[in-house]
Amino acid sequence: MQGGSSGIGYGLKYQARCISDVKADRDHTSFLTGTLSLKEENEVHLLRLSSGGSELLCEGLFSHPNEIWDLASSPFDQRIFSTVFSTGDSYGAAIWQIPEPYGQSNSSTLECVASLDAHVGKINCVLWCPSGNSDKLISMDEQNLVFWSLDSSKKSAEVLSKESAGMRHSLSGGAWNPHDVNSVAATSESSIQFWDLRTMKKNNSIERAHVRNVDYNLKREHILVSADDESGIHLWDLRKTKFPVQELPGHTHWTWAVRCNPEYEELILSVGTDSAVNLWFASASSEHKTSESPVEASRQRVNPLLNSYTDYEDSVYGLAWSSREPWIFASLSYDGRVVIESVKPFLPRR
Amino acid sequence: MATEAAPMDEKAKRMRDLLSSFYAPDPSISTSGSSINASFDNINSTSFDADQYMDLMIKKSNLEVLLQRHVQMAAEIKNLDTDLQMLVYENYNKFISATDTIKRMKSNIFGMEGNMDQLLQKIMSVQSKSDGVNTSLFEKREHIEKLHRTRNLLRKVQFIYDLPARLQKCIKSEAYGDAVRFYTGAMPILKVYGDTSFQDCRRASEEAIEIIIKNLQTKLFSDSESIQARAEAAVLLKQLDVPVDSLKAKLLEKLEQSLDGLQIKPEEASTLVEDDDSSNDTESNDQHPAKIHEDAVRGFSEAIRAYREIFPDSEERLFKLARALTAMHFEYMELYIKKRVSAADFLGIFRIVWEDVVLMDEVLPEAALSDLSAEAAQVTLKQFVARMFSHLQQDISDTLLKFDINQKEAVEGELLKVVLEASQKAVLQGTTNIFQDFRQLLDEKTGIFIKMKDLISGWIQKGSQDFFRSLEAQFLVLSGKTSSSNDIEGKSSDKIHAGLILVLAQLSVFIEQKVIPRVTEEIAASFSGGNSQAFENGPAFIPGELCRVFHAASEKLLQHYIDTRTQKVSVLLRKRFKTPNWVKHKEPREVHMYVDMFLHELEEVGKEVKQVLPQGTFRKHKRTDSNGSNTTTSSRSNTLHNDKMARSNSQRARSQLFETHLAKLFKQKVEIFTKVEFTQESVVTTTVKLCLKSLQEYVRLQTFNRSGFQQIQLDIQFLKAPLKEAVEDEAAIDFLLDEVIVAASERCLDVIPLEPPILDKLIQAKLAKSKEHNNNTVSS
Repeated sequence: MQGGSSGIGYGLKYQARCISDVKADRDHTSFLTGTLSLKEENEVHLLRLSSGGSELLCEGLFSHPNEIWDLASSPFDQRIFSTVFSTGDSYGAAIWQIPEPYGQSNSSTLECVASLDAHVGKINCVLWCPSGNSDKLISMDEQNLVFWSLDSSKKSAEVLSKESAGMRHSLSGGAWNPHDVNSVAATSESSIQFWDLRTMKKNNSIERAHVRNVDYNLKREHILVSADDESGIHLWDLRKTKFPVQELPGHTHWTWAVRCNPEYEELILSVGTDSAVNLWFASASSEHKTSESPVEASRQRVNPLLNSYTDYEDSVYGLAWSSREPWIFASLSYDGRVVIESVKPFLPRR
Repeated sequence: MATEAAPMDEKAKRMRDLLSSFYAPDPSISTSGSSINASFDNINSTSFDADQYMDLMIKKSNLEVLLQRHVQMAAEIKNLDTDLQMLVYENYNKFISATDTIKRMKSNIFGMEGNMDQLLQKIMSVQSKSDGVNTSLFEKREHIEKLHRTRNLLRKVQFIYDLPARLQKCIKSEAYGDAVRFYTGAMPILKVYGDTSFQDCRRASEEAIEIIIKNLQTKLFSDSESIQARAEAAVLLKQLDVPVDSLKAKLLEKLEQSLDGLQIKPEEASTLVEDDDSSNDTESNDQHPAKIHEDAVRGFSEAIRAYREIFPDSEERLFKLARALTAMHFEYMELYIKKRVSAADFLGIFRIVWEDVVLMDEVLPEAALSDLSAEAAQVTLKQFVARMFSHLQQDISDTLLKFDINQKEAVEGELLKVVLEASQKAVLQGTTNIFQDFRQLLDEKTGIFIKMKDLISGWIQKGSQDFFRSLEAQFLVLSGKTSSSNDIEGKSSDKIHAGLILVLAQLSVFIEQKVIPRVTEEIAASFSGGNSQAFENGPAFIPGELCRVFHAASEKLLQHYIDTRTQKVSVLLRKRFKTPNWVKHKEPREVHMYVDMFLHELEEVGKEVKQVLPQGTFRKHKRTDSNGSNTTTSSRSNTLHNDKMARSNSQRARSQLFETHLAKLFKQKVEIFTKVEFTQESVVTTTVKLCLKSLQEYVRLQTFNRSGFQQIQLDIQFLKAPLKEAVEDEAAIDFLLDEVIVAASERCLDVIPLEPPILDKLIQAKLAKSKEHNNNTVSS
């Protein structure tokens, strides 16, 4: 496939699982990625796509005390990001600040803004409030949902509220609704749960086992995409949670993560443990489906898969669209290889 | 003479002119008349000027001409004189004769007066005498006239008094026509005096008439009477002012009632047909239902005919009735074919109905029954075709599900195989049968069928196309792959046996490869007509598309089967890896039991696959081939492994990643996710591969201590042998198993593998234990 030709690669030293788009960087297309090595010294790489888009440069290399399981760049300050890390037998989450001026020294230490130390179990992820200017955070472990307020100047984080999802629902991840800042979706073993942050109560759920990853569609309200281990990708209309709006076949093995394009509402990326990145065209929303002619609809049903990038050596876990150049995405395979691809040839005609 | 050409005319003219001049009061005319012969035209006019004429003459003419003229004129004058003389003479003659006549008349009239007077006298006397006679007879005549009137009256009274008796007599002799005439004759009197003088009489006669009416009505309604008689009865009734409308209504009601009897009730229909069939051999049994039905219809049509003659003005109602009957027939037929009906039975019923229609059509040609029924027949036939297909589909899914239910009782064995064979047979046999039936339809010679031949072919084509499409959809629903919108199916989806999915997959292949070509042949052979006219958008039956559909379906189903199978294992693995705290794992003592469960699952897959799918043809060949290569790969990985293990801890940690990368470089990238084929081996292999991949991923998500790693190592080591035995692509399995070990070692804080002897011992122990367990189960 053409993945090999158009992709720009960058190699991390160790294995890695997570990559994040630096949303707050308005001048460059940048990504943050962190390594996952149990025994070595882990690193956080700040990568920047050169202005021509032909090279991926390392803008900063920072050492991180532990192996990184999750990493998220803050939407309001490009120097601030969060990580979830593990020491082997315990987990932690923290907010970090990249020292200024970064990029001068090759390896500088990160400044710890705050430690989100309200958890005991395995922490899954840290979510930044998607509104972009608020400094609210959510951290999730297997049982609890913690709502934080961050004060970066005072270097402190305060627990606003904390709620247990119950022992039976072991949470595994989630997404913050970009259309409604009070709503957060959390994936658990048997369902996708929707939490209202004002009351810290569960107010809705989609019964679906083994959901690994969810993402909201930025452009289309009420549309949520979920990835399952076995049965691929599902599009849900949050108003009708009984049946999915559309199903996509997903990957040959597990579908690890899905991401909706921030600009083109039909484009969905998924990465899987079959060492592939798939680009889908999902036009489905209940309104659209009826307006389309049946012929067209059936054509799309025949092949919603626009492209499959298969030039990976290992399972791909990390995936991020660039919010600045929405036709660019970064993927990260377990062997530490970051690949930047452009989906320009597949953009829908407008 | 100037003009000799027409002397006679000349003479007559002259005579007339002379006469007129003679009688004319103006003498000038006579002069003009006398000068008529003058050639100059003005000589006859009153304004003739002789002097001027003379002047003109002298001036114009020479002497000779003048002389001539003179002679001529002299002659003319002489002529005129003679003529005059003659005229006078004649007139005189006439006068004399007139005088004679008058003299005679005078003598005749003498004596007339006296006769006239005599006559007058005589007439006067005659008149006076006749007056006398008249006055003398007047009284007597008056009397006679009076008597005569009384007599007439009395006779009428007598008639009226006799009326009841007479009517009775008529009733007795059934001379209703006379009775009605009498009654209507007496009617005006009865009407006037009925309430007073003839009360009794009127009552009696009315009673009689009542009887008559009743009799007439019964006659009208009785089917045994001839039509003529009934028509007469109706006319009479009409004369009697019995409201005919109500009669009509009643009659119609009766007809409608009889309609009920004519209906072919679905429950009766079968017997109707059966007896129809069996009547061939039991001819002696004269009254079989079909015959009865036919008679009934015949009777009905007769009744209609009669009715029509009786009430010729109300055909509309009859049309309605006839249409209702036809519509009802077809309605019931539709009900009838809701149950499963063979084409022969259907045709039997259809034929009966058609006969009925024809009968009715004969009676009421204007009702356009044939059009109506043709339409209805089209609908029914179309439904029938559609229903045949849906029955077939139902059959097929029944076959599939029936065995699935039995599955719970009969646990093992060749069950899936049985299901597959049964369902294959069901599909093949079913389609063959259905086409046989359809051929019967086409062979049918009833009028309408011949007309609709093309349409039927079209329907059959379209029907088979739809059938296969919906069959495919149903397969997917049955497999639980597509969650059907109705909840009833949805909830059972998790209970669907995985084996069924496999059967469905194989069945789809079967349909694609065997059934569809066969159906295509059938259609081409028998039902090719009609598609061009009936369906503008090309032929309705598109085998290519169906093949594609089923091909896709079979792949989907197979994939689904593998998915459901691996899902089970995945759940197993998930539990295995989520529950313990791997960082605080204890030293491995035995192979963990999840391995058994995993193998058990695989075994089940193997069993199912063996029943349903064909063996890969190249297995033998491949095996020997891969054996060769396999030994080398495994030995290499083993040496690698041993190497790795031999290093000291600190060294190893750094170089480990590098090594694995290197190893990957040297090893050819093993294609883990290859396309699944419809062979036993391929399915098993794919299942194993997916499971191992899942295992690897689960391992990667954990962090292990030394013991944890060793446990994994032990489990994997144990898995190696049975997996290789089960699986075709040993290189890939080796690779994946190694990957699991590598992943575990990467995620391990303190990698110290188990010593091979200990590993061996533990595995042997496990083998011994499972053997013992097996023996136990066998013996028990």
